[in-house]
Amino acid sequence: MTDAPLSDSPALVADPTVEATKVSKWFGPKVAVSDVTCSFGPGLTGLLGPNGAGKTTLLRMLCGLMLPSEGTLTIEGRRPRQSVEVYGHLGFVPEEDAVYGALSGRGFVEYAAKLTGLADPATAAERAIAIVELEDSADRAIGGYSKGMRQRAKVAAALVHEPRILILDEPLNGTDPIQRAHLIALFRRLGNAGHTVIVSSHVLQEVERMTDRVIAMVDGKLAAAGDIGAIRRAMSDIPYRVLIETDDSRRLGAALVGSDAVFGVTVDGAALRVETTDLATLGRLISTLARDLDLRLTRFRPEDESLESVFRYLVRRR
Amino acid sequence: MTALLTITRMTARQVLGLRRFIGLGLLAIAPAGIFFLSSSRSTTTSATEVLAGITVGTFTNLVVPVITLIMASSVLGAERRDQTLSFLVLRPISRYSIATAKLAAAFVTAFTLTGLGALALGIMAMIRIDDAGYIVPLLAGTAIATLAYASLFMPLGYFTDRATLIGLAYVFVWENGIAGALKGLAGLSPWRLGFAALVALAPSDFEFAIAEMRGFALGSLQPGAGGSIVKVLVLSGISIAVTGWILRRRDLA
Repeated sequence: MTDAPLSDSPALVADPTVEATKVSKWFGPKVAVSDVTCSFGPGLTGLLGPNGAGKTTLLRMLCGLMLPSEGTLTIEGRRPRQSVEVYGHLGFVPEEDAVYGALSGRGFVEYAAKLTGLADPATAAERAIAIVELEDSADRAIGGYSKGMRQRAKVAAALVHEPRILILDEPLNGTDPIQRAHLIALFRRLGNAGHTVIVSSHVLQEVERMTDRVIAMVDGKLAAAGDIGAIRRAMSDIPYRVLIETDDSRRLGAALVGSDAVFGVTVDGAALRVETTDLATLGRLISTLARDLDLRLTRFRPEDESLESVFRYLVRRR
Repeated sequence: MTALLTITRMTARQVLGLRRFIGLGLLAIAPAGIFFLSSSRSTTTSATEVLAGITVGTFTNLVVPVITLIMASSVLGAERRDQTLSFLVLRPISRYSIATAKLAAAFVTAFTLTGLGALALGIMAMIRIDDAGYIVPLLAGTAIATLAYASLFMPLGYFTDRATLIGLAYVFVWENGIAGALKGLAGLSPWRLGFAALVALAPSDFEFAIAEMRGFALGSLQPGAGGSIVKVLVLSGISIAVTGWILRRRDLA
C-alpha cells in the first residue's frame, strides 16, 4: 500500500469525510500509531486489529480527543480541536464506560441532546432510546445497567443529534448475541443511509457481518485495507504451523516430506510441527496418511492462528 | 448559554450529593457552633474578640479552603477519573465555555456550604453581639475567598489525582505557614483577600478585635472589598484561560 500512489491506495476513499494523513502518535518511547494514512466516507468501514494495535488511539485522534505527534486529521475538512462546530455532526462511542452512573439512561441521553443544543432534547432522547431499544430500562440509573445496556445507552447518546459521522470504538463489547445482531443491523442501516460510520473491533467475524470495507491495523501500522475478501485472500498465503501428535510422529513426518502442501517438518519427541500454507489440504493428507500407516492421531492443532499473528504477517509482507 | 447552565447544573448534581452536603455542611457550621458555645458568658466586646478569633483561626483559613478544595477539585477531577470528559468535550461547545461552566459549578457548590457556614456564624454573631451587621460582610468575604480557592483548585483537580493532598499542603504550608510569616505575601493568599473584604464591611468593632492578630490575618493587605474583588476576578479569568487552554492542547485520555 505504501508504494502505491495515494489515489490508488485501498485505504483511501473517493469522497472522504474523515481523513488521516501520515499520522503518528507516540507516548514517550512507545509508538502507538505509525505513519497511518487513510480516509473514510459515507458507508460503514470496519477498523480491524488485535488489542493494542492502535485502533483506539487512531479513533481518539480522529475525534480530537488526542493530538497527533505528527500528521493531520480532519473531519469534513476541518480539524476538530480548532473547530468545535464539527461536533454538531459527529457522534462518538468510546470503548470505556464513559457514563454518569447516577443519571438514568434517559437523563444521560437528554444531557447529550442539551449539550448539542437541540431544541427539543426530550423528544430527541426518546427517539434515540427507541432506536437502541432501551425504552424499558430508560428510567433506571445507568450505574445499575449491564455492560451491554451501557453500550446501548452510549450509542443512543451518540445518535441523539443525528450526526452525519459516527465513530464507535468496540461498540459490541459486552453485548449479548441478540443485542449484537441489533446493533450490527443499526450500524449497517446508518451506513446504507449515507452516514459515515467507523466501527472498530478486534473480532474479524464481527466486522465481516457489518461491512465489506475494512482497514486493518497491527502494531500501530496499517496492515491491510479495502475489500474484506481481498484481505481474506491475502491471508490464505500465510504459512501456518500445525502441531500434530501421533503414536509415531517420526514415521508420519517422513511421509509428509515431499508433499506440495508441506514446506517444513520438525520432529520434537512425540510432537510433530508442520508448516503449510494450505491447512485444508494438510488436514486431508494427514487423515489419509494416518489411515494408510495405521497411526493413532491424538492431536492436530494449528498454532499461532490468532488475528494478531495474521496481521503481523501482513505487515511484514508489505 | 443553555449548554453552560446545563453543564453547571449537571456538575453541581454530580459533586454535591446528599451525604457530602450533610458531612461538609456540618463542617461548615461547626465554627458557628463553637462561637455560640464559647461566647455564652462573654460581654459584647469579648464576644466580638471571640468571633474575630474563630473567623481567622477556624472559619476563613481552614473550613472555607478545605470545603472549596473538596468541591472544586471534583468538578473536573471526577470527569477525568470517571472517563466522562470525552462525553463533555465532544460537543459543539468551546473548551473555554466548559472551563467557565465548571468554575461556576465549583463556586456554586462550594459557596452553598461555605455560605451556609458564614450565614450561621453571622446569625450567631447577631444573637451574641446583638448586631446583624456581620451577616453580609461574612457572606461577602466568604464568597470572595471561595471563588479564589475555586479558581485555584479546579484546574488542580484536572491535573492530578492528588489534588486534595496538594491543596491541603498549599493551605497549611504556604498560606498558614509561609504567607502568614511573610507579610508581603498576604496578597497571594485567597482567604486573606476575603478577610480583607470582611474587615472593611464589618462593624468597626471587628477591626479593633483583630488588632492582635492583624499581622497574621492581613499581612500587608489593607481592609477593602474593591481590591479583593478585582484580584479574585482576575484570578478567575486566569483559571478559565489556563483550564480552557489545557483542554484544547492536552490529550484527553
